[in-house]
Amino acid sequence: MDMTLNSYKINRAIVALCVIAFALTSLVQADDLVTEYSGAYAGDLVWEDVVTMSGDVLILEGGSLTIRPGTQVNVFPAEGTKIDPEYLSSQTELLVRGKLEILGTATAPVRFVLIERNDLEEIAWSGITLDRASQSRILHAQLERADIAIRCVASSPEIKRNRITNSRYGIVAQQKSHPKILDNLLADGEGGIFCWKGSNPYLFGNVIKGHDEEAVFVDAESRPRFDRNTISGNAIGLALYPRDLLLDDIAVTDNLENVRFLGRQGEDVGE
Amino acid sequence: MNLRQLLILTLLSLLLPLSSLAGDTKVYRGDQSIFEDTVWDGEILIDGILTVAADTTLEIRPGSRISFTRFDSNGDGIGEHEIFSQGTIRVLGTEAEPVLFTSAEANPRPGDWGAINMMVSEKENLLEFCNVEFGYRGFHAHFAKARLLNSHFSKNVRGAQFQESQVVIEDCRFQDNLNGVQFRDSIVTLRNSVISGSHWGLRCVFSELEMTSCLIENNLVNGANIRDGKLNISGNRITGNRRGLYLQRSEGQVVGNDFSANSEHGIFLEDSKVDVVDNRFVENGRAGVRWLNSEGRLARNQISDNGVYALINDGPTAVVARNNWWGSADKKVIAAAVRDGSDRPGMGLVDSRYPLVKPLTQSRKVQ
Repeated sequence: MDMTLNSYKINRAIVALCVIAFALTSLVQADDLVTEYSGAYAGDLVWEDVVTMSGDVLILEGGSLTIRPGTQVNVFPAEGTKIDPEYLSSQTELLVRGKLEILGTATAPVRFVLIERNDLEEIAWSGITLDRASQSRILHAQLERADIAIRCVASSPEIKRNRITNSRYGIVAQQKSHPKILDNLLADGEGGIFCWKGSNPYLFGNVIKGHDEEAVFVDAESRPRFDRNTISGNAIGLALYPRDLLLDDIAVTDNLENVRFLGRQGEDVGE
Repeated sequence: MNLRQLLILTLLSLLLPLSSLAGDTKVYRGDQSIFEDTVWDGEILIDGILTVAADTTLEIRPGSRISFTRFDSNGDGIGEHEIFSQGTIRVLGTEAEPVLFTSAEANPRPGDWGAINMMVSEKENLLEFCNVEFGYRGFHAHFAKARLLNSHFSKNVRGAQFQESQVVIEDCRFQDNLNGVQFRDSIVTLRNSVISGSHWGLRCVFSELEMTSCLIENNLVNGANIRDGKLNISGNRITGNRRGLYLQRSEGQVVGNDFSANSEHGIFLEDSKVDVVDNRFVENGRAGVRWLNSEGRLARNQISDNGVYALINDGPTAVVARNNWWGSADKKVIAAAVRDGSDRPGMGLVDSRYPLVKPLTQSRKVQ
């Protein structure tokens, strides 16, 4: 009798444990299934497979976002003329004040894909902004139709082997940003790379083509280092305030105007 | 302690007001409301959300210091403790004894506390000679009427933000906030003020703005962006921003301003109807004036020594740009400085005839 009772109790306990385990597993799975992101994140976030930015995403100082190889990031473009609660743009934006690691590979790039709508304009989202971010990497990402695909403000990430197309500006480095911009393709936007306010990026092996305006613009305070880039098919290849940049290793050909020095004639602007 | 003593002690603690004096500091903890006219004079600590009820006035005397503890319930980086007013707030600082609104944290940072927040507060609110720092929105309002005078907003996430409000801002400085001043559906007068060191300097939609004698400087996105607005902008200096003044679907007057050394364009007009007269556009990185699908006069301006172009017409409509100073009266020099339909098929032409032979510096009103 006692044996039967004990077996009964043991069986009940096992069933209860199974129920609890199932419930816990379900909770974990439910958490894992979160694929829509919008708002501010303080912790360490990892995106993989398919995720959706249903609104602005802010990675706070001290937090991080890692995007694994092959991830597709669907971007839901903002509707209307919101002024709040967006962070820096009225368009959907990924704003990073912590650390960003986009870890695409040649065979598994990270793709940012716009969710289409009838009323969408050509430039349909803000892009990625690194604002005083920690050391970050953007590797093998595909970005299109952004206002500024990658904007660095006092940030110096590695930006390597990305494909940036049909955006208003490809990469903006401002406020003493010194990113390494390596082997990227920037094509068919308004402008390619802008160096403003004391920014000195290293530009190596990039192909910059088909822009309606300047492929590379450098203001008087900035000193990028050019190394074996190919710049062709733009309205203006290089628009430069400084006269002292080494241009030897850049293939600047077949632009409507290959190099234009800016500022008053005869003045050593920026020196 | 017997049961009776314990009971009395418990009752007494329940009867104690939630606001208390800690040393010389008046402390408000938790969610509290002020239902009677109140005067603050000295040290105030707000450790919660303090509501000023409708038909109640909170007056703050010179030299007072109001500090807020940080409480971020949802981890979004924004503190929530604040003053929430449905009554009237009158901050009466003086030049010698300003009123300070700040964080109570040892290591303060922008967004530690919420805002001086006004909701349906339609009597004349006044913030005079105050310093507001480390808030989310230094000043925030919906359906309110307020005057901000001689005050300094710094290191807030947003210096000031309001909607459906009437606000006069005079002799104020918004410096090193994440965004300076932003509003929508409001009527705003902005005079003799500085907005600098933000991402966005001034940004508004669906509003009426009169802005005079202001300095809009070193903002990383736009110095000022006005969308779907009515504007009268005169006598300002807008310099060192990425874009100087960006107008979208707006109409009004832009007269006697100095747009200089902005990284991109001095002014960018998009789908707007604006008279642009007696301004100075010099040393802007890409172009002094970018004109896209807009109407209006472009006359009596100095548009010289800009980077790539003086004027870009990026739309199909013609631009009448007579009587401007281009740095030269030579037709070839002017043609090279202007990009229009003669350079790019499909774009409208620019009529730059009758150039001035020297800039009309005496007509500018910049102070």
